[in-house]
Amino acid sequence: MPNNLQGKTAIVTGAGRGVGRGIAKLMAEEGARVVVVDPGVNVDGSGFDQSVAEVVAQEIQAGGGTAVACAESVATMDGGERIVQAAIDNFGRLDIVVCCAGILRDRMVFNMTEQEWDDVIAVHLKGTFTVVKHACILFRQQRSGRIITFSSQSGLVGNSGQANYGAAKSGIAGLTKVLAKDMGRYGVTANSIAPRATTRMIGAIPESAAEIRARGGVASLSGDGGDDSELQNLDPEGIAPFVCYLASDYAGNVNGQTFLVYGDTVSLMSQPRPERAIWTESGHWEMEELSRQARSYLTAGIVNPAPAQQR
Amino acid sequence: MPLLQDKVAIVTGAGRGIGRGVARLMAAEGARVVVCDLGVNVDGSGADVSVAQQVVDEIAADGGQAVACTESVASMDGGERIVQTAVDSFGKLDIVVTVAGILRDRMVFNMTEQEWDDVIAVHLKGTFTVVKHASILFRQQRSGRIITFSSTSGLYGNSGQANYGAAKDGIAGFTRVCARDLGRYGVTANAISPSASTRMTTSVPDEARALRSARGIAAGGGLRGDAEDVAPMVAWLASDEAAHVNGHVFHVTGGLVTLLNEPEPVKTIRKQGRWTVDELAAVFPATIGIELYNPAPAPPPTA
Repeated sequence: MPNNLQGKTAIVTGAGRGVGRGIAKLMAEEGARVVVVDPGVNVDGSGFDQSVAEVVAQEIQAGGGTAVACAESVATMDGGERIVQAAIDNFGRLDIVVCCAGILRDRMVFNMTEQEWDDVIAVHLKGTFTVVKHACILFRQQRSGRIITFSSQSGLVGNSGQANYGAAKSGIAGLTKVLAKDMGRYGVTANSIAPRATTRMIGAIPESAAEIRARGGVASLSGDGGDDSELQNLDPEGIAPFVCYLASDYAGNVNGQTFLVYGDTVSLMSQPRPERAIWTESGHWEMEELSRQARSYLTAGIVNPAPAQQR
Repeated sequence: MPLLQDKVAIVTGAGRGIGRGVARLMAAEGARVVVCDLGVNVDGSGADVSVAQQVVDEIAADGGQAVACTESVASMDGGERIVQTAVDSFGKLDIVVTVAGILRDRMVFNMTEQEWDDVIAVHLKGTFTVVKHASILFRQQRSGRIITFSSTSGLYGNSGQANYGAAKDGIAGFTRVCARDLGRYGVTANAISPSASTRMTTSVPDEARALRSARGIAAGGGLRGDAEDVAPMVAWLASDEAAHVNGHVFHVTGGLVTLLNEPEPVKTIRKQGRWTVDELAAVFPATIGIELYNPAPAPPPTA
C-alpha cells in the first residue's frame, strides 16, 4: 500500500463523481483522510442528493481508507467554512484542498442569461475562493498546505458556447497564481490543473454548441485544435495520480503552475510571455505609426480562430 | 479619413484614467462615444454624475461627439441600458471597450466576501453585461469590435489581489470565448493588459506594495506609461484595419505594445498505463519540473 499522503487530511470538492471522485479515492489509497464534498447536484447545478458523496466515502471505507461525506455547497462563504470545519471536526487538521466542483450551462454569449452566467461563476470561481480562503487561514497558521484548483482548456484557449465557464476557469487560473504569491511564503503551494477527461460534464454540452463548433471548424472540446475523438476514452481517474503528487511532500517547491493532464499525459503549461512587440522611440504613439507597425509586424499573419463566414 | 469615422463606441470606466484616454482618442478619430462612468471611488463607493459629463464636455470642446452615461455595468439592466444609450443617441453601435473596474486589495486569508463579490461584479460580470447586449446587435449587423481589459495581475499574479486577479484572468478567458462565439459574425474580441499610472495603481495598500517589493515583484509592471498611452492600440484594434486580430491579449505600456503568447504545453511526460505517485516523484523533478520557478518560496525555517 503506497503512503505518500500518510497522516494528511484532504478536502476534495466535487468528489462525488468523475475527476473529483478519482482524486478522493486515490488520496485515500495514499493514506490521506478525505472529506468527500458533493451536494449531488445535476450537471446544470439543479437538484440535491446527499447519497452521492456518501457512496464515495463508503467506497473508500470499504477499501480500508478513511473518509467522511459532506454535502455542503461551495457556492457560499458559509458553505466553504463548513467544509473546512468538517475536516477539522472529523480529522483534527487540514493539509490539502482540491477544488473540482463545477457545473455547466453552455450557451452562445448573445443568448446567455444572467442566471446561466451567475450560477457557473458562483460554483466554479467563487466556489474555489470560499473553500480556499478558509483553508488559507489554517494553512498560514500551520505554515504548510497544498491547494490544487481546476482550470480548463476552455478558459486558457477558449471554447465556443462557454463564455461563463471559460471566464470562471480562466479566473481560477488567475486566482491560483495570486494564491501562489499570497501563500508561498507560508510554505503553501497553489497550482491548477487543466484536465481532459470523459465525464458527464462533457456529455452535458448542448448539441447545438457541439454542432456549431464542428461546423465552424473552430475550437474543439480539447481546445487546441485536437480531435474530439481523442476525448472518447479519457479515464477521469487518470487525473488523480498527478494531483496526489502535487499534494505530496515531494512537490513542496512546485508553486503557481498550471498543468494540462489527460490520459497518461502531464504537460506543464507556458506562463504568459511576449511573442512580438512594437515600440515607438518617443514613448507616445502617433496613430499612423502604430497602425503601420501593427499591420506590418505585430499582427501580421496571425490566425483568426473563428474567421467571418458568409451568411 | 480618421481611423474611426462614423463609428459609435461605448467606453465603460471612461470618466478617468485609461478609459478617459480611450474615449477622447476615439472621438478625435471620428467616433461618437458613449462615456460611461458612475463616478465612484476606487473602492466602488460613492457616485458622481459630473465625472462622465466632464469627459463629454472635453470631447465636445475638441469638436467631437459624445454623450454621458452613468449606468452601472454591474447589473444586466445597467449593461442593457448602456447599449441602449448608444442606439438611442447615435442610432447604432460598432465598438465596446470595457475599462470599468475597482480595487479591494487584501491578502486572501483576510479577504471578505464583500471584497470578493464587488470586484468580481464590476470587472468580470461588468464586462459580460455590456458585451452580451452588444453582441446581440453585433451578430445581427455582422460586425463589431470588443476590447476588454485584463491585467498582469491575473496573467502573472499579484500578491494581495485574489479578487482582482481572478476577475482579470477571467476577463481574458471570457474574451477568448467571445472571439470564438462571435468571430464568424465578423466580430473581433481582444483584451488589453495595461500598465499605466492611474489612481487605481496608486491605491494599492502600502502593505501589499511593501510585500511586493520585498519579493522583488514590481508594484505594477515596472515600466509605467501614462494613462493616455494605452488608447492608440485600443483605437487601432477598434478600427477596420484590425479585422484579422481576434482572441488575443496585448500588453500596452507607454510606447510599447506586446502580443502575448497563447497558453500552450511546453514540457510533457507520458507513459503507457497510469502513473503512480512514486513514479511521478521519480520522473517529475528532472523532466517537466526542471527549472520551475517558485514565485514566492518559503523562507528557511528559523529556530
